[in-house]
Amino acid sequence: MLTGINSKITEITQVDKDILDRQRARKENFEHWGATPEQARKAAVGKVKGLVDKRMTIGEAVGKYVKDGMNIGIGGFVNTRVPTAIIWNIVKKGARDLTLSFQSNSICCEWLAGAMIVNPDHLSVKRAELAWWGYEIIGIAPLLRYLAGNEMIELDDYTNYGMSARFRAGAMGVPFLPVRDHGGSDMELVNRGVMMKCPFTGENTYLVPACHPDVGIVHVNAADMYGNARIFGALCTCPEIAMASVHTILSTEVVIDNMAIRKYPNLTEIPYPVVDAVCEQPFGAYPGAVYGDYWFDMEHFLMFRGICDNFRKSGNKDGLKKYYDDYFFSCDTFDDFIAKIVPHKKLIQLMKMDGGQPVIL
Amino acid sequence: MVTVADVNPYEMIAYTGSRVLEDQTIVFVGTGLPIIASMHAQLTHAPNVNLIFEAGSLASILDQGMPMSVGDTRAFRNAVYAKGLCAVFDLTQRGYADYAFIGGAQIDMYGNLCSTYEGGTYARPRVRFPGSGGAGAMAANCEKTIAIMVLEKRRFVKKVDFITSIGFGDGSFDYRRKAGVMGSGPYRVITNQALFGYDRDTRRMMLLEYLPGKSPEAIQEMVDFELLISPGIKEMELPTEHDLMLLRTKCDPDGFFLKRKVVEN
Repeated sequence: MLTGINSKITEITQVDKDILDRQRARKENFEHWGATPEQARKAAVGKVKGLVDKRMTIGEAVGKYVKDGMNIGIGGFVNTRVPTAIIWNIVKKGARDLTLSFQSNSICCEWLAGAMIVNPDHLSVKRAELAWWGYEIIGIAPLLRYLAGNEMIELDDYTNYGMSARFRAGAMGVPFLPVRDHGGSDMELVNRGVMMKCPFTGENTYLVPACHPDVGIVHVNAADMYGNARIFGALCTCPEIAMASVHTILSTEVVIDNMAIRKYPNLTEIPYPVVDAVCEQPFGAYPGAVYGDYWFDMEHFLMFRGICDNFRKSGNKDGLKKYYDDYFFSCDTFDDFIAKIVPHKKLIQLMKMDGGQPVIL
Repeated sequence: MVTVADVNPYEMIAYTGSRVLEDQTIVFVGTGLPIIASMHAQLTHAPNVNLIFEAGSLASILDQGMPMSVGDTRAFRNAVYAKGLCAVFDLTQRGYADYAFIGGAQIDMYGNLCSTYEGGTYARPRVRFPGSGGAGAMAANCEKTIAIMVLEKRRFVKKVDFITSIGFGDGSFDYRRKAGVMGSGPYRVITNQALFGYDRDTRRMMLLEYLPGKSPEAIQEMVDFELLISPGIKEMELPTEHDLMLLRTKCDPDGFFLKRKVVEN
């Protein structure tokens, strides 16, 4: 809805008036791009709450939970603990009209975007609610640039805190959270949050809506078969995404014994009731990094980004098509993909480059 | 004796970035030069500068070298606190981050920064960048914002295409308050050829220092809006040989950021 309250950004914005009108209409006719808080609550209440074995393959989990038109909440942060194995399986299966929600991500989004460019009948992304889509040191994301520049994707821009707060609101079961950012920037005008007067201080305060992805996808260091998960290094926004999502698919480097979880319950960052599938997948964030397990494979990021940038500059899809044929459609599993692209000694090297950062299993 | 010719533009930025950080502070860093500048400060005049990396760490010890990005697992090495984005942005919003150390593609005279797109429109940008990421939140709620940019006329513009990271807005005294943000706002802009601050009364960008061999007029030529000139204007301090050694062998030994050329496509 519209509150009629804004900062002074309205007086200085350079964004075109017709675009502002269009963006304002999104606030006025606000719709959740995933489950509503009520739907998310109902789904949680309807779940079996016992400690049951939720182990399955990622292929089975994606087959069961990922459907056309859904909002996929992507965990990790840029190149760290990114759920690439799950994304890889989504690309294999295909899904149309997806919405993506995340704070910052790199190859997960670009893999989906590339699959759409190669064959939009198989996989397509219609919009993203996000803070950041790129590769950091390696450069900006060529396929985001292509899709945005050709109006092929609808975007809803927040800060990293804003998107994290949106998942956290979902995780808390509240419809929005106040945050002290976005106000005074153009995001105040173009995203779907709204400015309000704080009922206690009377000061302008920005509100961001809860985000409940239909399916949250998160990769962790370790989990038991029920879905109690441990994360070392950056938690990113993974606990919040898992908590907020209607269904959560967890891939884990290793499945550990439930008694190991019970020994240090403070280390559980994601509790079992919010998890629907536990998928053991070593190197499940490759070519990204997992603290305590392995470091980035810069070489693969550069290779894929290079192929995408060639497409953006030339419009020729051949390189992209070949990449997907070689590394997705002619592989049966993510393990096959890894075996095809990374020599064993390189994997050992990536493990060494992590430097043995300590984890507790 | 180090001369201007011995120092490449990114080394000049990193060294100047280090110089403006005070000791006993918390710095919320972006990828690249902010990390390098902060590492140099820790090795020299500000050993008790502590870093926040936005994926969720506080005061890590970077004994595996420079993290390649703020999400790099190495940015969590020997931290005192390792959680997620919510935790460190909460800390920031609460008032415990002294400096935001961020970049941008465009900046205006009031320190508003754009990192969302350049050219075209929001709906159909000529070049869409990754987006705000943490920058918008850092500029809003860290106490002081330090921007790092290469000095180019196309970057120092009259109006940015899109305000991603709030500065002083239109320069009015209550712009930030009406925006609902908490930090005091723009503090320094560090470039390869000049160091800028802001005039307290007008909140406009002010030239504080320029590269030896340049002049205030030459700096104005590189900027598309009218600069204020500080009454105490002076030349930028050059790094010593020891500083250059630290930057080249300890902070960014592979030259990922320091050896780049100042030309972009």
